[in-house]
Amino acid sequence: MRDLERSRAPLRMDVWIALAIFVGTVALLWATESTQGFPRDESFYFYAASHFASWFQLLLHAPAQALSDAAITRAFDYNHEHPMLAKELFGLSYLTFAQTLHWLRPATAFRLPAFALAATIPAVLHLYGSTLYSRRAGLFAALCFYAVPRHFFNAQIACFDIPIAAAWLLVVYLFWRAMTDRRMWLWCGLAFGLAVAVKHNAWFLPFALAPFSLARGLVLTRAKPVARSWVWAFVGVYVAFAVLMALVVLGFGPQAFLVRFELLSPQSLLIFGLWVGLGWTLQKLRAQDTKAFRALAPLGAITVLGPAVFYLHWPYLWYHPVDRTAWYLAFHAEHVNYAWTYLGTVLREPPFPLFYVFVVTALTLPVSLLVPMTTGLFALGARTALGFTRRFATWRPSSGELLVGMNALASILIISHPDVPHFGGVKHWIASICFLALLGGEAVDRACTAVTDALRRRSAPRPSTGRLEGAAVGVGMFALLITPAALATAHVHPYGTADYGELAGGIPGAATLGMQRQFWSNNVSGVLPWINDHAPPGARIWLHEVTDLAFRDYQRNGMLRADLQPAGGPEDAQLAAYQYHQEFREQEMRIWQAFGTRKPSYGLYLDETPQIVVYQRR
Amino acid sequence: MSPEATSRATPDDVPVRTEGSAPEGPVGDRPVSPQRAKTLRLLLLVEAGLFVAAAIWGLTFQLTINGTDIPEADYQAVAQVLARDAQPGDVVLLYPWWTERARLYLPEGTPVVGYLGSDTDDLSEHPRIWLLAAPDLPKSDLPGFLRGFQRSRAPLAIDGQTGAKRFGKLSLALYRNDRARPVLWSAVDNLDHARVYLEHPDGQHETCRFAGGLFRCPHNLTVGAGWHELFYQPRRCLFMHAPGGPDRLVAEFDDVPAAPTLRVSAGIVWEHAWKHGKGLTPYDVTVGEPGQTVLGRLRVPVGREGLLQEDLAFGKGADGSPARTVSVSVQSDRFEERDGCVELTALGGGS
Repeated sequence: MRDLERSRAPLRMDVWIALAIFVGTVALLWATESTQGFPRDESFYFYAASHFASWFQLLLHAPAQALSDAAITRAFDYNHEHPMLAKELFGLSYLTFAQTLHWLRPATAFRLPAFALAATIPAVLHLYGSTLYSRRAGLFAALCFYAVPRHFFNAQIACFDIPIAAAWLLVVYLFWRAMTDRRMWLWCGLAFGLAVAVKHNAWFLPFALAPFSLARGLVLTRAKPVARSWVWAFVGVYVAFAVLMALVVLGFGPQAFLVRFELLSPQSLLIFGLWVGLGWTLQKLRAQDTKAFRALAPLGAITVLGPAVFYLHWPYLWYHPVDRTAWYLAFHAEHVNYAWTYLGTVLREPPFPLFYVFVVTALTLPVSLLVPMTTGLFALGARTALGFTRRFATWRPSSGELLVGMNALASILIISHPDVPHFGGVKHWIASICFLALLGGEAVDRACTAVTDALRRRSAPRPSTGRLEGAAVGVGMFALLITPAALATAHVHPYGTADYGELAGGIPGAATLGMQRQFWSNNVSGVLPWINDHAPPGARIWLHEVTDLAFRDYQRNGMLRADLQPAGGPEDAQLAAYQYHQEFREQEMRIWQAFGTRKPSYGLYLDETPQIVVYQRR
Repeated sequence: MSPEATSRATPDDVPVRTEGSAPEGPVGDRPVSPQRAKTLRLLLLVEAGLFVAAAIWGLTFQLTINGTDIPEADYQAVAQVLARDAQPGDVVLLYPWWTERARLYLPEGTPVVGYLGSDTDDLSEHPRIWLLAAPDLPKSDLPGFLRGFQRSRAPLAIDGQTGAKRFGKLSLALYRNDRARPVLWSAVDNLDHARVYLEHPDGQHETCRFAGGLFRCPHNLTVGAGWHELFYQPRRCLFMHAPGGPDRLVAEFDDVPAAPTLRVSAGIVWEHAWKHGKGLTPYDVTVGEPGQTVLGRLRVPVGREGLLQEDLAFGKGADGSPARTVSVSVQSDRFEERDGCVELTALGGGS
């Protein structure tokens, strides 16, 4: 018997299961990667990662030169709207497996770390779910996650949406572990640092965690006034920091605040004071109450290690930490809106529809997974609401369950804000789906238990067969629920951005509903074999929406003939591949005009929906 | 949430769990009444039933979705009928509107129309419509579509058979389009005979040179007939970017035949139409006889997407001549984003 108030470490068997899931996921992603096209953003990240690889080589051969401001700026200025951790891993893998060992084609080498980062999601889901709920719940959450076609697609490319979802999940898992387990607070802080080094989404994480830390700290010190006073002191340090920093901003003005933000400045002093203050109050709290210390220490670690790791991992910040961080944050605060088709309307500017995220989630998740996730979330909500009544007080969920529920909604609610740019399908709130998968796992687990109980009541089997019966129900339920989603993934692969679930009527149903057909241009991979077979030698090809870098990547990776030339538009092309987007219709008409025909020669049609339409000049 | 589970779950007390134990549930230390336990059991079984129903739905859908692909042979069979029976002026309308794979196979001589909004297009330039439908696709609602489509349209026979004819997964039906108006003359088809110039407020003209299929005007302005998108609808129109300021870009046509109606249509192409803000001004189109009367005006407001149209009375000339000279001009105070497209057609009476 284990007491989860003493330790939330997974059982040894669950660690082995998680490891097997990790290895299996990497193998599956790797085995099916070769047909995957190169999304626009991935082509930028490949390029940025190769810059980093060059810098790393320089670091090995001429460290002093590599560490100069000029060399760092040269290497890291490209694509500095995103931090470097994922790109560093992509670049190192490329340097090792493609450039040095020549074991892998460049794209696969870049993507290998992405597979590993992606595989941590089902592994952590199993560890988390099996400890918080049950092994069956954890296993379902893990196995269902990449049965979702859009998740599988995003896991297979060297981008940041799956890595940040993995990092978000890991931070929350370690945070939950840190409530009871020694030193886990330190790992939680470190994981948060890595998360902010992957993508800016992670900066929202402390707001999803702080209420739990504080509530637990206060509850645990209910009967300990001295310890409680240190809990308040810990909070007071944050408040004092915020007030004083606000005064400095007001005093200097926003511009001067940044200009005067130097190593020896009031701003730096305040940050240093915050760190020291947090360390001191936590030390005092630890002396009074270890449990309360463990409740608050992850927040302290996040506050100290987050910015520290963020700064250290990104050489681009080393010489210009303030202005470059300010630019980075401003870039994302003022991110442009891309046109996006939703229920027959092209959304171009805020305010965006309030329920957009919920609707898109419902239309893209396979229904057999959407239903358990939804009932899981609703059951948690119902238990929370009923838990406030005297009659059902014992139904109140644990803080661990509430933490899962809170994070199941966090990303979804952030993106739901009508002023937040809405594009990119579901990729910006995949972190929420990790936690919905946990809730779905719990729902499936209780359904299996209910069915098993009902069967036992009817047949009254011998005790020895009871366990077998439970396993059989579990396997049957898993197969029933996961198979449709897995079939959908296999059906749409490698065109995951085009996928829609049963509720939408699949891809054709979504087209009729007027949903975004696809995005990111990678579906062009579906027409490249035809172009290779039909383009005249040395022909100029216009691959609409495909970046010049991606064009080159298709050639470098043997997916497009090397003699073909990229054209700037249909006017100077012999062959054009148009990406069917509602907002780009004019581009197809440019082709009609330039080529003198409206009849396509070939196309990629998924379940009859036009995705890529190819024209040849007459 | 097994009713038998007895573990506690409170905000600060995570339940004790053993390997292989039942999951925690909302059942506390207090004994559960048999009635409540029964209700709970029933609820959980309903939930399990919901999962099984969702799974069966999903499984059925995924196993049948491959079957929605329309075989090439079906398209080829339709193409044969159209190649044989389609007449000049006919059009093929797709249902659902996005089923454009048909364009790979259908004869090039018959235009194929399918765009977001084409369900309600009058297709007034086409006296006959071939309705090509894929009625078995998910979310396809052909009867619902036909209720709107069949207004002022009458079914005609294909191969002696009236009504839709099935070609595998496709259905083809032919309709007489009573919303059609015969096009007697169109500016798009007569641009190469036009005079195009930039007109200053003082009446001075700067002539545009015809080269390479379009008129090249001062300030890099061009006037050409081409395909453009107007709120997702492909239109072949005269691209006439407003010059900005009080200047007007003018296209002048001789020998426009007298007709019951002279229709002027205009819109801002592509995403330029949607754009709005202080820096943009309306796009004004004026139709008239050079140096004489203004026949009509059309204003495309800032932010207005799609094609606006105005029908003008257009009889014989003042001297009774059966053909007249007509000019169409565009103007906008600001140049930015005023990528306008104009159509001018002389239409016969309705059928």
